Amino acid sequence: MRAQILAAGFLAAASLLGAGQARADADNFTEVERGKYLAILGDCMACHVGSDGQSMSGGHMLETPFGRIAVPNLTPDPETGIGRWSADDFNRAMHEGKRPDGTHLYPAFPYTSFTLMSRSDNDAVFAYLQAQPAVKNQVDRSTLPFPFNVRLLMAGWNMLNFTPGTFRPDPNKSDEFNRGAYLVEGPGHCGLCHTPRNLIGGDKGGAHLEGGPLQGWFAPSLTADRRTGIGAWTEQEIVEYLRTGVTHRSTASGPMAEVVELSTSRMTEADLKAIAVYLRERAPAPAASNPTPVAATDSRMRAGEAIYLDSCAACHVGNGAGVAGIFPRLADSQFVQQGDPTGVLRVVLQGAKAAATPHAVTGPAMPALGWRMTDQQVADVATYIRNSWGNAAPAVTADQVKAMRSVAGGH
Amino acid sequence: MPVSSRRQLLSATALVAFSAPALGRSITGRMPWKPNEAYPPELARPGGWYFLNPAEVATLEAITSRLIPADDLSPSGKDAGCVVFIDRQLAGPYGTYEWLYMQPPFSDNPLPTQGIQSPLTPQQQYRLGLAALATHCRDSFGGKTFEQLAEADQVKLLQGMEKGEVKLPGLNAPRQTTTMLFNLILQNTMEGFFADPVYGGNKDMCSWKMIGFPGVRYDFRDVLDNPGKPYTKPPVSIMGRPDWNGKPA
Repeated sequence: MRAQILAAGFLAAASLLGAGQARADADNFTEVERGKYLAILGDCMACHVGSDGQSMSGGHMLETPFGRIAVPNLTPDPETGIGRWSADDFNRAMHEGKRPDGTHLYPAFPYTSFTLMSRSDNDAVFAYLQAQPAVKNQVDRSTLPFPFNVRLLMAGWNMLNFTPGTFRPDPNKSDEFNRGAYLVEGPGHCGLCHTPRNLIGGDKGGAHLEGGPLQGWFAPSLTADRRTGIGAWTEQEIVEYLRTGVTHRSTASGPMAEVVELSTSRMTEADLKAIAVYLRERAPAPAASNPTPVAATDSRMRAGEAIYLDSCAACHVGNGAGVAGIFPRLADSQFVQQGDPTGVLRVVLQGAKAAATPHAVTGPAMPALGWRMTDQQVADVATYIRNSWGNAAPAVTADQVKAMRSVAGGH
Repeated sequence: MPVSSRRQLLSATALVAFSAPALGRSITGRMPWKPNEAYPPELARPGGWYFLNPAEVATLEAITSRLIPADDLSPSGKDAGCVVFIDRQLAGPYGTYEWLYMQPPFSDNPLPTQGIQSPLTPQQQYRLGLAALATHCRDSFGGKTFEQLAEADQVKLLQGMEKGEVKLPGLNAPRQTTTMLFNLILQNTMEGFFADPVYGGNKDMCSWKMIGFPGVRYDFRDVLDNPGKPYTKPPVSIMGRPDWNGKPA
């Protein structure tokens, strides 16, 4: 009888191990599990996912302002992946942005943030990656056009934009704040999208986390500004947004929907809270930008109001209040009031899909409206949305819509 | 052997149920969504005639104006664009019954449940029917065409067609009767008058304004919160309304 119980227990344990970690052996199971969570924090999957949708065998093309980069294979395949790398090699890539042979990686790989990660965290991520099944997938790593295909150029880029660093906790702040700082600035690499880029693609100095355009979207400001940033968000709202992808204030869509689905919705509550604490306490609001709203009597606003009534109000409601849990609120929305209207135009023209998480499973979608409106009509309704119900943001021009249309495609 | 045949029936049904190929697509995880996904309506092309010939157009303009005369409530069927609507429909998939099974046998004496039993497509029904009407007018009204008749005579003739008292030459059951022709034109005229302006009729959303139909709006929470108050929003077409699309719909 006792033998049977033992045998059953052994079988159960073996099958658990088998299901979870294909190649983990007993002596580094904890390390691998820690690495798995760190890989979630870093959202490695978002870029490195292979065509199988399961492995990190890479291969898909990442759009950058300088050309398209094929994302490398991170599985332990010795020929096409990182199977021949050592933990030192991996740490060097994360910390210095260099390959084992000393050549430079491109900063589409956020080593500018990962450089803050500790050696022990990098080792854990490496252990996790090495424990995954190897997938053979040869990725062409030289897709950038001249001159950006010259990797040595990155030495100069690094001189201007990058210093290898280590994370230094602020002794005057709480452990929670410092954990949040590590997550946001290190593995989470939030600044890759939420910090505007300079001309050569580095962080724009003095504008950390102030929001920026990327891949035809706009990552909103994360500063304490109440109109465009998170100044009015409570800690609980930030946690809820990152965990579920939706709050009464906003709904994650576009690239952020991916981040929520693959990364933040799988983080621990404590880590989400730490991120919220850090974002809220990180820095005082920059000099308030309070543009005067476009007057309601303006002809663009009148046309925009008519369009809104006919095309938007059915879901977002006449007063821009939306419907909690399904249709995002537009009044007092940060996304809507960014200085750059890219995000709003993208959503109006192309439609959008909200994040779907285990906590908010629906993932409601907005239909594309570009097919039934001219550039001027889209501009007018965007101007109206950005300047009604207390909102204020620069008016949108038909030229901006035209430019967005060429990115968003469609009719 | 009732038991055994019942069992046979059940197992046969089950066999069919399990062996039928799964035509549906199963969706798991999340709802499918594609950027820019849209299924725009085919807008009626402006100008010209795509199926009707000039004589048919003239006759239909007169008929639609008798069916929907201009008055205080609305413009005439012709001015509302009903003939444009009919022409565009006949030139499109409706004109050939593209989506209907149109192979014989056709019953000579169909039951009401058998639906359409004429081999004629709408294109053929209009072409043959209007030709028969032209012949009838020529023979019975001293060489005149329908549109040349006095309005009172037009109305009388249409009433006779509706009731089956007038029998146009060459129109015979079950292929096509005079009443069937009248009903077809009446049906299509009403459709043109009340359909969205994008299809060529209902000019300026005239019929919607007449009956107070709100158009393609689909959410009335604002209105429901104000019971007893008049509904004041203007109607809106699939492609918008003059307040913002710069076109008279």
